[in-house]
Amino acid sequence: MSSRTANCPNCGAPLTYRWSSSVQTVCEHCRSVVVRTDVDLKKVGVVADLPLEGSPIQLFTEGHYRDKNFIVAGRILYQFEQGTWNEWHIVLDGGIDGWLSDAQNEFAISFPVAMAKLPSEEQAALGKSFTWNETRFTVVSRTLAHYAGVEGELPFEYWDKEDVTFIDLRSDRSDFATLDYSDDAPALYIGTAVEFEELRLRNLRRFEGW
Amino acid sequence: MMTRIYLLYGLLALGFMGTAQYRGWRLSSLNEAHIVPKSVRDNPGSYRPVYGGFRHFTGGK
Amino acid sequence: MADQRPAVSVRSVNCPNCGAATAVRTFGHAVNVVCMSCRSILDAKDPGVTILQKYRDAVPREPLIPLGSRGTLPGETIQREVVGFQVREIIVDHIPYQWREYLLFNPYHGFRYLTEYAGHWNVVSTLRSLPDGDHLPGNSGTRGFDGQQFAHFQTATAKTVFVLGEFPWQVRVGDTVTAVDYVAPPRMLSAEVTSGQEVTWSLGQYTPGAEIWKGLGLPGSAPNPEGVFADQPSPYVTVTRRMWRNAAWLLAAATLLWIFHLASARSRQVFTQAFRYDPRQIQDASLVTPLFEIDGRQSAVRVETQTDLDNQWIGVGYALVNDGTGQSFEFAREVSFYAGVEDGESWTEGSRSDSVTLPTIPPGRYFLRIEPEGERIGKPVEYRVNVIEDVATSLWYLITVLLVMVPPIVTSIRASGFESRRWAESDHGSAGSSDEDADDADDDGEDGDDD
Repeated sequence: MSSRTANCPNCGAPLTYRWSSSVQTVCEHCRSVVVRTDVDLKKVGVVADLPLEGSPIQLFTEGHYRDKNFIVAGRILYQFEQGTWNEWHIVLDGGIDGWLSDAQNEFAISFPVAMAKLPSEEQAALGKSFTWNETRFTVVSRTLAHYAGVEGELPFEYWDKEDVTFIDLRSDRSDFATLDYSDDAPALYIGTAVEFEELRLRNLRRFEGW
Repeated sequence: MMTRIYLLYGLLALGFMGTAQYRGWRLSSLNEAHIVPKSVRDNPGSYRPVYGGFRHFTGGK
Repeated sequence: MADQRPAVSVRSVNCPNCGAATAVRTFGHAVNVVCMSCRSILDAKDPGVTILQKYRDAVPREPLIPLGSRGTLPGETIQREVVGFQVREIIVDHIPYQWREYLLFNPYHGFRYLTEYAGHWNVVSTLRSLPDGDHLPGNSGTRGFDGQQFAHFQTATAKTVFVLGEFPWQVRVGDTVTAVDYVAPPRMLSAEVTSGQEVTWSLGQYTPGAEIWKGLGLPGSAPNPEGVFADQPSPYVTVTRRMWRNAAWLLAAATLLWIFHLASARSRQVFTQAFRYDPRQIQDASLVTPLFEIDGRQSAVRVETQTDLDNQWIGVGYALVNDGTGQSFEFAREVSFYAGVEDGESWTEGSRSDSVTLPTIPPGRYFLRIEPEGERIGKPVEYRVNVIEDVATSLWYLITVLLVMVPPIVTSIRASGFESRRWAESDHGSAGSSDEDADDADDDGEDGDDD
């Protein structure tokens, strides 16, 4: 995943650099030192490398949630100042639309919920709590993000690329909620945080070396 | 391990305690003088220097 | 949207002399590239050497766990790879303290963190549920999570001072978060708050370095830990509990022995007689009592001298003589009693009676020789002598109780010392620096490990 490969300029044998900004390796064949020339050494030690876009999920990945199976039909890639995350559009048995969010391998499944009187952006400050469906949710993050790409089928039409606020909330029981402020009226999605193992995913993306 | 040693130590202390109680030990000791010969013993009431060990009290309110 | 692996450009570093392979040697900060064949040292201006030197300038010390290492963490079966490394710093009482973090990654199962400070390691994972309480972490108090109460340990601003490799978000030197730690050894509940935007809770488990070295298959051994870490489990907890439990049993047994002793001591009076002593008489007042029997086993014998002294003293010399063996036990007693009235208040000094316990008297037939002494000018004194055999004492019980209590008390003191050292590092340090930031205990503030 993080290693980089190249071919030895001397003898052509495959080489590996063990991590994202590793500059030095030794060719096992000809024993020469082979150095990377594309690493910005001004950034080494100062800025982390961009994480490789590494969601293990891909279109048509299948999984399991509660007592239903689902299949991944589409994807939205969001980008914010410090990184990206994926929202996978899933369709469950019975045709129900849901979202599987994948933020650096933290997964959550949520569904749109109609709720009256949702808080405004300002009202949903960090640490504030709201009770929906008899569960107490507390704001844990506020992110300004824009759409960086789409794939597959989505339950709505395409939109613009302006920055929009997304507010995530959690409970003391793995509940998960998102407030989406793309439109004039905020949209609420409620669900649960899930572990990778719980989803029993099949047809995942393959990673070389894993 | 430490607790085992402690238990052993405690049991020894108990053994010591039981013996001391049973045998009438005390912290102080007496002047256990010599054996007094029978002839002297049969002579009641008379002071003999040989009885020894008795310290006279001087003064004191 | 399939991702591409980023393309990397490379160049080999070859000896310009003979074209042969080279080896990199590092001495301090200087990178030397040496040809293996002809031993010539490559020019520092060689572009390849320049890259190596610039890298060395940027990374003066490689992380203890090399990036790219793969293995499993203790308690897990999932293989992960070390992809990132970060050094963060807090400043407490103007002293910087740095610790190191390693990011471990599995493309399916996600991330774990390893933190290290002064040789103390924690395996940390981010939480999906929130702990009890106010949902922004504070400066004191406790938080409940997963059935445990975590006590506030420290709140500080953590700044990134060095970063290598990849992180789930783009970490930069200079990034700061408010870091709040709560502990319930061996676990630590932490929160990081970034300027009003995000709060992330995570749970750390204290793990011995040796286990991490084993799981990741690292050569050598983990650095030795120094001092006591926030969530380091106390090695004294179990021992202390066991010592006190054993002490309880021992004390119960001692109490039974004591009660038995009190109950079985007969305290039987074997002799009593009254005498009269007139100190003004010139002739010797010594006398010898009739024989009496001290029976049973060897025991302690009490001799009481009860007088009618009135502002006077007498001295009584005793010898308890065994008529059969001739053994003589000698002891002298002084009895004095004074009383009066002064300024309307009556006072007394001394006591009219005296009592002494003779240890380990063997059974047999005994007589007492009594030699009274007194002031020439004293009044006549009536006194009674009692001899009581087989008297009990609580002395040995008290001594045993003391002996039994000492080791568990010492253990509790040591356990408490361990905890003091733990909390000395916190915001709630030793008495004297209550809500200020912790006092500087261990001097491990500087950059931790060398390679």
